[in-house]
Amino acid sequence: MARGFQGAIMRGFGAHDHLATVTSTEHLAPHFLRVRMNAPRLFDDATTSPTEWVRIWFPDPAGGDAEHQRAYTFSETDPETGDFACDFVLHEPAGPASAWASAAQPGDTIVVTPFGSDRVTIPEELPAGYLLVGDSASVPAINSIIRALPPELPVELYLEQHDPDDVLIPLAPHPRLAVHWAPRSEGTDALAAAIEDRDWTDWTAWGAPESTTLKHVLARLKGEFGFPKTEVKARAYWIHGRAMGKLRDDPKPAAEAPEARPQAAPEGAAAEPVAPRRGAARRTSTTSTGWRSQAGSRLIAPLKPTFIAAGVLQGLVTLVQLAPWVLLVELARVLVTGGEPATMWALGVAAVVLLGVGTLLETALLLWVHAVDARFARGIRSRLTDKLARLPLGWFDARGSGGVKKVVDDDTLALHYLTTHAVPDAVAAVVAPLAVLGYLFVADWRIALVLFVPVLVYVFTMAAMVFQSGPKIAQAGRWAERMNAEAAGYLEGQPVVRVFGGAAASTFRRRLDGYIAFLNEWQRPFTGKKTVMDLVTRPATFLWLICGMGVLLVTTGAMQPIGLIPFLLLGTTFGARLLGIGYGLGGLRDGLQAARRIQLVLDEPELGVREPEEDGADAGRADAGRADAGLVEFDHVTFGYRADAPVLHDVELRLEPGTVTAIVGPSGSGKSTLAALLARFHDVQGGGIRLDGRDLRSLTADELYARLGFVFQNPQLVAGTVHDNIALGSPDATRERVEQAAREAQLHDRILQLPDGYDTRLDGASTLSGGERQRLAIARALLSDPGVLVLDEATAFADPESEFLVQQALSRLTRGRTVLVIAHRLHTVTAADAIVVLERGRIVERGTHDALLAKDGRYRALWHARPATAEPEGATR
Amino acid sequence: MIRTLLALMPAHARGRIALYAVLSVLSVAIRATGAVLLVPLVAALFGPDPARAWPWFLGLTGATVLAWTIDTVLSRLGFELGFALLDSAQHEVADRLTRVRMSWFDAANTAQARQAIATAGPDLVGLVANLMTPLVNALLLPVALGLALLAVAPPLGVVALVAVPVLLLALWGSGRITRRADAEAAASNTELTESLVEFARTQAALRAARRVDAERSRTGAAIAAQHGAIVRLLLLQIPGQVLFGVAAQLTLLALAGTAAWLGVSGAVSAPEAVALVVVIARYLEPVTTLGQLAPALEGVTATLRRMRVVVEAPVGGTAGTASEVPDTAPRVALEGVTVRHGATTVLDGFDLVLEPGTTTAIVGPSGAGKTTVLGVIAGLVEPDAGRLTVDGRDVRELDADARRALVSVVFQHPYLFDGGVHDNVRVGDPSADEDTVAAALALARVDEVVARLPEGSATRVGEGGSMLSGGERQRVSIARAVLKPAPVLLIDEATSALDTENEAAVVAAIADDPRPRTRVIVAHRLASIAHADRVVFLERGRIVEDGSPAELDAAGGRFAEFWAQQRAAAEWVLGGTPSR
Repeated sequence: MARGFQGAIMRGFGAHDHLATVTSTEHLAPHFLRVRMNAPRLFDDATTSPTEWVRIWFPDPAGGDAEHQRAYTFSETDPETGDFACDFVLHEPAGPASAWASAAQPGDTIVVTPFGSDRVTIPEELPAGYLLVGDSASVPAINSIIRALPPELPVELYLEQHDPDDVLIPLAPHPRLAVHWAPRSEGTDALAAAIEDRDWTDWTAWGAPESTTLKHVLARLKGEFGFPKTEVKARAYWIHGRAMGKLRDDPKPAAEAPEARPQAAPEGAAAEPVAPRRGAARRTSTTSTGWRSQAGSRLIAPLKPTFIAAGVLQGLVTLVQLAPWVLLVELARVLVTGGEPATMWALGVAAVVLLGVGTLLETALLLWVHAVDARFARGIRSRLTDKLARLPLGWFDARGSGGVKKVVDDDTLALHYLTTHAVPDAVAAVVAPLAVLGYLFVADWRIALVLFVPVLVYVFTMAAMVFQSGPKIAQAGRWAERMNAEAAGYLEGQPVVRVFGGAAASTFRRRLDGYIAFLNEWQRPFTGKKTVMDLVTRPATFLWLICGMGVLLVTTGAMQPIGLIPFLLLGTTFGARLLGIGYGLGGLRDGLQAARRIQLVLDEPELGVREPEEDGADAGRADAGRADAGLVEFDHVTFGYRADAPVLHDVELRLEPGTVTAIVGPSGSGKSTLAALLARFHDVQGGGIRLDGRDLRSLTADELYARLGFVFQNPQLVAGTVHDNIALGSPDATRERVEQAAREAQLHDRILQLPDGYDTRLDGASTLSGGERQRLAIARALLSDPGVLVLDEATAFADPESEFLVQQALSRLTRGRTVLVIAHRLHTVTAADAIVVLERGRIVERGTHDALLAKDGRYRALWHARPATAEPEGATR
Repeated sequence: MIRTLLALMPAHARGRIALYAVLSVLSVAIRATGAVLLVPLVAALFGPDPARAWPWFLGLTGATVLAWTIDTVLSRLGFELGFALLDSAQHEVADRLTRVRMSWFDAANTAQARQAIATAGPDLVGLVANLMTPLVNALLLPVALGLALLAVAPPLGVVALVAVPVLLLALWGSGRITRRADAEAAASNTELTESLVEFARTQAALRAARRVDAERSRTGAAIAAQHGAIVRLLLLQIPGQVLFGVAAQLTLLALAGTAAWLGVSGAVSAPEAVALVVVIARYLEPVTTLGQLAPALEGVTATLRRMRVVVEAPVGGTAGTASEVPDTAPRVALEGVTVRHGATTVLDGFDLVLEPGTTTAIVGPSGAGKTTVLGVIAGLVEPDAGRLTVDGRDVRELDADARRALVSVVFQHPYLFDGGVHDNVRVGDPSADEDTVAAALALARVDEVVARLPEGSATRVGEGGSMLSGGERQRVSIARAVLKPAPVLLIDEATSALDTENEAAVVAAIADDPRPRTRVIVAHRLASIAHADRVVFLERGRIVEDGSPAELDAAGGRFAEFWAQQRAAAEWVLGGTPSR
């Protein structure tokens, strides 16, 4: 088979050929053919990630011996069976791929090779949207991306139209996909011009159009819209007027290029489905500086001068540290020429001086960067503290304690490494090999060149290993995750394993064996390569090369023996130094990501306090002199965690002073969100919530929480004594008042059992049970005595012995207050003054229990469908 | 580290370990020889007839090729050992975990054990080849070179050999200083971040209590205080960062000075002196490598430490030899049982006799020691004092299988493994016939669960049973326990009300299970208590009331109060009386 140089390279990298058999073909559009194939073990070497492609070897249409390689994106995959499909754009005159595909019949076979594919991964932290750019050739790849995108993410797709039938090619469905076509006939910049002139901040772009078109698109995205480099992934899938493959050594994954496609545009170009926005006035002001992905650089911008100075200084230190080796070379020179002892003494003194200077410089550098870091870290922490005090409470809920800890703890540490070590380390890693390289090339370029041989062997072996690892790396990640869960389960299940014996542990055993087998299968083939990589970069190998070249050059008179000395001294570690570059740069990336996360927290919107509205009913009511009555009004409230996906729609609700209102509804209906809004865990997006006539947003936090209290699940204890915790909101409260509150919350007796009674410190989380913590929160609320209460009726989740006491405490707490309660069990709120039935974020019913039960509506259905909780025998309801 | 490593290696690998050690030494010796060959080679090059260097170069080629060959074998051997280690160590850890005392599984140990299983694998594979081999080389090569130099230029050899411990000491000292400074920095940092995390964690409470500003200024003060402490930490850190570098450079200076002196004094020829300078450079390379290996070494040491924590964890008390299990319901007695969890004594001289075939409900507030009593009978908790007897025989006389065959347990948090519903139940008695299994499924109301599942009893329950609801998991676990033909059945009832079916299953396991057993249930629900022959009310590790449910209810004591509260709780409504 004639596959030329490329085929040889791929084999060298260990790419495997798979014989695929055509199973069926289907015209998805007149010129767009899907060919379904099967190659049973194909997915041992390929993944099913979006945009994954394979190389296919097409026979020469002219009947020649050569095989033509083209890359095609998977449009369908089934890793179990090895079924897959690729889509072909058919055109005239046909190239090898087009010719093969249009004649393909079930049963035909063809060789495919997975090798070097791109893989798009959708990041965990989603961008604001995806901007996709391409044409018929990249539609399969675009479809694979669209299928991988979450439904709530907006997707803008711009396609260049080459053929009137292009619009018939089916695109993957997506609820928020907008498709725009731009005709190629209007020029290679028509597609770029068609991209809407808007604010693209925080979007991610992926593009794979024709090469010239791509240039225009990139210019527009980066130059005009300010897309940062990291947010644009683009490559040309084909080049106009040029056959793909045959002689090219860098094939692009492509539906085949229309070779020798007539320059004239398709005649049908006039009837475009969508008018391109070519004429749109180009504004340049849309360039945004606020890209989230670039937040890290903003955070560390003040450190830039420090980084530069530290880098320069470190470069100097590195050079000084290399100097002794140069002095050694000089020493050798002096020795050979039978030099004076005085010269040698001078060299010795120089070495000592350099050593001293180097050490001093290094120390000074360390002290300085640490001092700068300490000041910077203090600033960051102060800003974080201020920020935390002003973020909406909902932000903490959404993150969980782990997420908050990551930013405050891990990320500030990573930032410390970035400011103190990352830059000097990176500079040292780069400067040392470059300096040595330069020195050696000046000394003798012929030997210096030979030193690259082992380095090349290393790089090639490494590349082959990375390629062969391709699909395995993702699998390894999944295995690690799975084993983590398995191990956790196995440990948790130990009591079961002890009581029931081996059979209970057999699944875990099988998984463990599977994992070990996977590691074997993955790593064993690499042992040979790893050995090669280790041996070729050893100093002994370099030494042998240097000696061989040296003896050859010296005996042939091409070199003085003294010229060999620099190599014998510095050349042996050259390989190791050069390969250290990549290692030294790793710390920079981690630090930048940490900086980004911290900056994003600092950028989070805060809860503001706005001026009370002067207009309308608001002010009027506030004047009504019922400041502390406890009247709550939800006025057309709309809210969602993402601005475009509301959780609550147009909620109208009035809580009369001193009444109990219960929210019921299926899980996910928005009950907790509604309650959280009243406690101002978030600010509403539409409408407003008023407390005694004043909008929540016009109250300071202290003003609000003086009137409104909340008891949710998992109440928080602060570090301190029981007394401190109960008196948290009223630090001046006497012990008598604290005890009174504890008695009313049914907690007094329990507190007396603690080692130091009310003075017991509550440090460990385990001192109090869940039910006891709830009662403590109730005592706290009793002492603060707010007029309005937001409750989560979570007593079902308390331990049974506590349940009764929690209930008694709640009954005491709610007496005489305006209460909004999230109800999990309907029968506990049958006595509420009002019951509100929530469904998918809307209030669908409201009334008393009896009234609602009389109606044949949602409440009645819920009441009859409620899970029968365990009731005591003979208990009546 | 070496000790842990050898302990984890499978026995059949001993031969290969010995071979590995021998080859390592051989490889180092050959490389040292190769380096010393440089002396005549370089001397010849500088001499009148450079072509005389060719034979020496051939010698060097021979040494290099030989070293490559041996190192290839070594590398292969290293990976073999790595894979053997992976296999044996992972299984050893998994096995050990089933024998470790249950009280060992606190949060910290559990986390270590999980990591030992889940993340150690890749580290173990490369441990020998990627870490041990370079480490051995870096330690032995300077010594070997020093010895070789002793033959060529004795004074230089002496200096080189003396420098080895100096360099190692500097490396060790540098690591030690750095670690201590890092630990201090980390401690100060942790203290600070903890106050920040605490500030974030308690935001809701602080805002509701209007204490945000006060707490914020406290945190701010802590940040300022830490900043002041940093300079002191820094001064601690600097020596660690520069110590090794200075020592290495001083060594280089001493060696070069000696070589120069030898050359000038005429002890060696000038070209030979130059050649010695070249050998010196080779001497320092491996020592520098040692410094670079330190982080990887620390990582692997941590992995091995985690594995050692598991492998050396205390196992349960030694099992006896008796293998007879009673086939009728036995009399079970706890005699003077004392159990401590750390500093707190949960049970202190606890006595309880369970008559054959009875059902005893243990009731009491949380923390009273109810679950601990069950744990002692189940063999999951080992008493610190006292004993457990079954029909008068101390259970410690039983062997492990007989001990396990004695009890069956329904756990409060049932763990199901990722397999079919049916497979999970069969774990109770793998040899049971289909009718027996079907009876257990029906008794525990699992047949209703199975009927709803897409693939019936073959439906996989997911990891930890996640495909089933809490109540369904509980029922599968009841079926599993009932199927096991053990003469003692223990039930730890779920604290939260799951569903009525679940409760019926618990009652059935007490009342309708045909097998003669002695039963104990830690009960929270009135329904299950009502079906017990006897109620034991536990408070702070002591039995405060003991009698039939009716007797205790009538007695008007703690149990009666508990009973009344349970009724009231079930009927409670928020904000007044129920309107019905």
